[in-house]
Amino acid sequence: MSAISCLNPKAQLARHAAALELNITGARGLAAVMKSNLGPKGTLKMLVTGGGELKLTKDGNVLVHEMQIRHPTASMIAKACTAQNDHTGDGTTSTVLLIGELLKNAENYVGEGVHPHILTEGFSIAHKKALEFLGSLKNKDEVDGELLLEVAKSSVGTKLHGGLADHIAEIVYNAVQTIRQGPQDRNPDLHMIELQQMLLDNAEDTKFIKGLVLDHGGRHPDMPKSLENAYILTCNVSLEFEKTEVNSGFFYKSAEEREKLLQAEREFITRRVHKIIELKKKLCDNLPEGEKKKGFVVINQKGIDPPSLDLFAKEGILALRRAKRRNMERLQLACGGEAVNSVDDLTEESLGYAGTVYEHVVGEDKFTFIEDCKDPKSVTILIKGPYRHIVAQVKDAVHDGIRAVANALRDQTVVPGAGAFEIAAYVYLQNVVDETKGRSKLGIKAYAEALLVIPKTLAQNAGLDTQETIVKLIEAQQEADKNGTPPVGLDLATGEPQDDLSVWDNYVVKRSSLNAMYDIAKNLLEVDEVMQAGMSNLKHQQG
Amino acid sequence: MALSVPQGFHSRFMKDGAQAFKGVDEAVLRNIEACNELANQLKTAHGPAGMMKLIVNDIGKEFITADAATILKNLDIRHPAAKLLVMAADAVDSTTGDGVNTTILLTCALLDGAVELINMGLKPVEVVEGYLATYAKVEKDFPNFSIANADDLTNKESVKNYLRAAVLSKNLSHGNLIAGLIAEACIQVNRLPYFNVDNIRIVKVPGGSIRDSLVINGMVFSRVAETDKRSVTNAKVALFACAFDITQTETKGTVLMSNANELMEFSSNEEKEVERQVKDLSDNGINIVVAAGKFGDLYLHYLNKYGIMGVRLVSKFDLRRLCRMLGAPAQANICTPSLDHVGICDKVAQSELSGQPIITFSREGASGSIASIVLRGPTTSLLMDIERAVDDGINTFKALTRDNRLVGGAGAIELQIARYVTYLSTKNTTSQRFVQKLFSKAFEEIPKYIAANAGHDALAALSLIFTEQKASNKSVGINIFDANKPLDVMEENLFDSYLIKKRAIEVAVDAAVQILRVDQIIMAKPAGGPNPNAARQVDPEGNDDGMA
Repeated sequence: MSAISCLNPKAQLARHAAALELNITGARGLAAVMKSNLGPKGTLKMLVTGGGELKLTKDGNVLVHEMQIRHPTASMIAKACTAQNDHTGDGTTSTVLLIGELLKNAENYVGEGVHPHILTEGFSIAHKKALEFLGSLKNKDEVDGELLLEVAKSSVGTKLHGGLADHIAEIVYNAVQTIRQGPQDRNPDLHMIELQQMLLDNAEDTKFIKGLVLDHGGRHPDMPKSLENAYILTCNVSLEFEKTEVNSGFFYKSAEEREKLLQAEREFITRRVHKIIELKKKLCDNLPEGEKKKGFVVINQKGIDPPSLDLFAKEGILALRRAKRRNMERLQLACGGEAVNSVDDLTEESLGYAGTVYEHVVGEDKFTFIEDCKDPKSVTILIKGPYRHIVAQVKDAVHDGIRAVANALRDQTVVPGAGAFEIAAYVYLQNVVDETKGRSKLGIKAYAEALLVIPKTLAQNAGLDTQETIVKLIEAQQEADKNGTPPVGLDLATGEPQDDLSVWDNYVVKRSSLNAMYDIAKNLLEVDEVMQAGMSNLKHQQG
Repeated sequence: MALSVPQGFHSRFMKDGAQAFKGVDEAVLRNIEACNELANQLKTAHGPAGMMKLIVNDIGKEFITADAATILKNLDIRHPAAKLLVMAADAVDSTTGDGVNTTILLTCALLDGAVELINMGLKPVEVVEGYLATYAKVEKDFPNFSIANADDLTNKESVKNYLRAAVLSKNLSHGNLIAGLIAEACIQVNRLPYFNVDNIRIVKVPGGSIRDSLVINGMVFSRVAETDKRSVTNAKVALFACAFDITQTETKGTVLMSNANELMEFSSNEEKEVERQVKDLSDNGINIVVAAGKFGDLYLHYLNKYGIMGVRLVSKFDLRRLCRMLGAPAQANICTPSLDHVGICDKVAQSELSGQPIITFSREGASGSIASIVLRGPTTSLLMDIERAVDDGINTFKALTRDNRLVGGAGAIELQIARYVTYLSTKNTTSQRFVQKLFSKAFEEIPKYIAANAGHDALAALSLIFTEQKASNKSVGINIFDANKPLDVMEENLFDSYLIKKRAIEVAVDAAVQILRVDQIIMAKPAGGPNPNAARQVDPEGNDDGMA
């Protein structure tokens, strides 16, 4: 009977070996679930939410979020990985695998009587060396152009299958390049890439749009469905009658007076509408011969009532009402011009411009495309797909791809992927083991071997012979170290080592994966007692 | 917590009530099993000789139909893999409007093949790659399977022939008649830039027999006129998107009266005002008023006085269609529309069909922007089933306006593909040949169901067709009336749209691949609360808050 049970009879606890086992099985179990996700050849998981919605995913982060974990250790690891994902946008699966593998290796040693502290000592040496090694791998060239595209392809390739991944990667690359403020801009504002979804066609039809896609359309059947060379007026002016704040009313004596009141009510709004129409007439009508036809679009954050819509429609103006606020900001960045709050001082300067504006109807949903803007600083990736879960899958991939490209820009460096870093670090750490004296050797060894889980799992998911592949890779890497050639990675198509795979990982992702693995594994190893203080609703826990 | 007897690791990780299935045995094969269950339900409904299903859905509505889309929609499928299948079917239905049953059956046939391959020792991933590679080849050569072109989309007889197969597969007994109606309506409204399905309205009036169905160049509403006047020829129509009543002011208005005189004056004033408005309409030649809202009593009085007919439409979508048909926009408030905003119509009349009053807006001549098919029949459920057949026919026509190539119906195209893939597999020397063989076998399943549903020996019918195809190199399909004589699709005019077939095959392969790619299913505990389907009331007109 432990002390805590005397103090609180409802408390549960696990001590020493039991505590360690609890933690290690937790970490390994989670890794086992995630294992088949890793790499471009990973399989899909089907998640069914409480409401019966489907989700198909290969993305570790999505999986961790949706799995509803309750094992304390596993959920702690999951939280750490989520935090990493929030920070870097990628690497969830590999971090889970690394932690699981390191604890598995440690378990062997602990089983043989090595004290966890001795192992963690070795971990810290190995970790320091591994980070140094990671730093030395930084490639010195400037990260831009072609290399960024390859980064995008590597990242998206692990989330989607073959042909689709390349297509999406190109879109991601183009989007990030467009919103950069100039060649020197290394910290683009990723919020300026809007992801819009449409349930139509196939995922392969996902498009990059130099402009915006709004998820609503013109509100009048006679409004033009498509315009070219359009002026865009973004405004925040109410074009519908608004009641006064105080309770007010009018008195009238005859039906004519009543009609007059009706007209006066309208007049107030009509005057504003005419101000806009005047500007349109000035700019778009009576154009000199030979000049291209021009369109006029009004996008209003507030409402526009039917009679006003009627007036606009008669003038051939496309008017959208109740636009979202975030879109108002983007509109200015995409088309230029500025949002106006009053129609009194309208000038041409406050208008934006778009090459084409058109409406697209899918079933009952309307979309308005504002495309071909001049040098837009806000762009849209239009994600298409036949089903909701496909669209969600592509969206997650796009999101991660954008982060990966942005990370590479920010770091100005990339790390060779496809298991290349892990193999190289393993070979490097083996040398460290030889140089190190004393018991900490064991920890370094465990750490080095844990790294191998990444290429191992990649090989396994691709249906290759794991052991054979790893041996081949290590031999090739030792060779490469001698010759001073770049590190080798695993070519999944052939199963052979390759040193020019054009697969790149983010430096920051790798670094935080290593950090997470070291910190969490160390913490978990050093735990010797797990307690759960008496909970009031223990009856629900059948454990 | 985790201190008691260790369980399978999933249950230790996740919250209570969650379920997880993993690996080939638990996930892949079980998914396929579920999909097959679904296919078993549908396969007897396939083809012209398919059986009907009687379905009572969650709100107690009855359906008697052989239309797969309707069956699936009302079955309320829960199994996640089967749900994927339903979504695939939805994707086909929403883009092409037909081909749902083919998609589902083909997907399941492909999955069946995959089971065999997995049992042979192939990994699901390899099957997926094989299927995709084979499909890529088929897709490349798909244009070669087209056997005719729908060149003449303006002649009723030829259009009828193009649409026959699509309609016959839904309704064998009246297929020709229905195809004729569809052809007539489609030709009437088909014009550039594109064919809009919305321009053909279907009105169901129970009573009479199917032979009494007819196509009207114009629109039909099942309503009564508001006014005494019931019919007008050479109509000039004023359309209003608001109620035809005294317009309310936005701000509160109060009539202020100090004596009885003023009270008298006010009502006569008001009457005068209304009369002025109605008289104005009458002076401008308007003889029909259509409004989206209520007709005020005072207004009605004056409409009757000036001999104007009044029609109230409840749906603003109907109003918009009427605007399209009459070529005039709807006015947002009561006014006298300018000359170019007045709708012109040859005849507007209220009449009676089997005790149900209808108002017909019709136009003379063969072309018009809106056509209505008035379906007659003894029971509502029969009418609904015919309506679905008509929908499929119209969508086939739409597909033809986009791509006029035709492929052989009656299972001919599937057999051609099957033969082609078998030929590919004989030339292939890698293990992929097995995948191709089963891919081809999957395509044979579809005509097999057609034959089996007609009560024939499916294998015998198939071999007969293969011999015939080889000998004559013609496109031959299943003859449901004579088991011993294959049917020449060119002679019998049984075609499917190239576009619809291609989309169905594309989606089927895609869905099969998706289901095969899943190797793990994790299900959260079903959330509590009321059944979201129970209280669902479908508003057929949507709830868009636009113009009217």
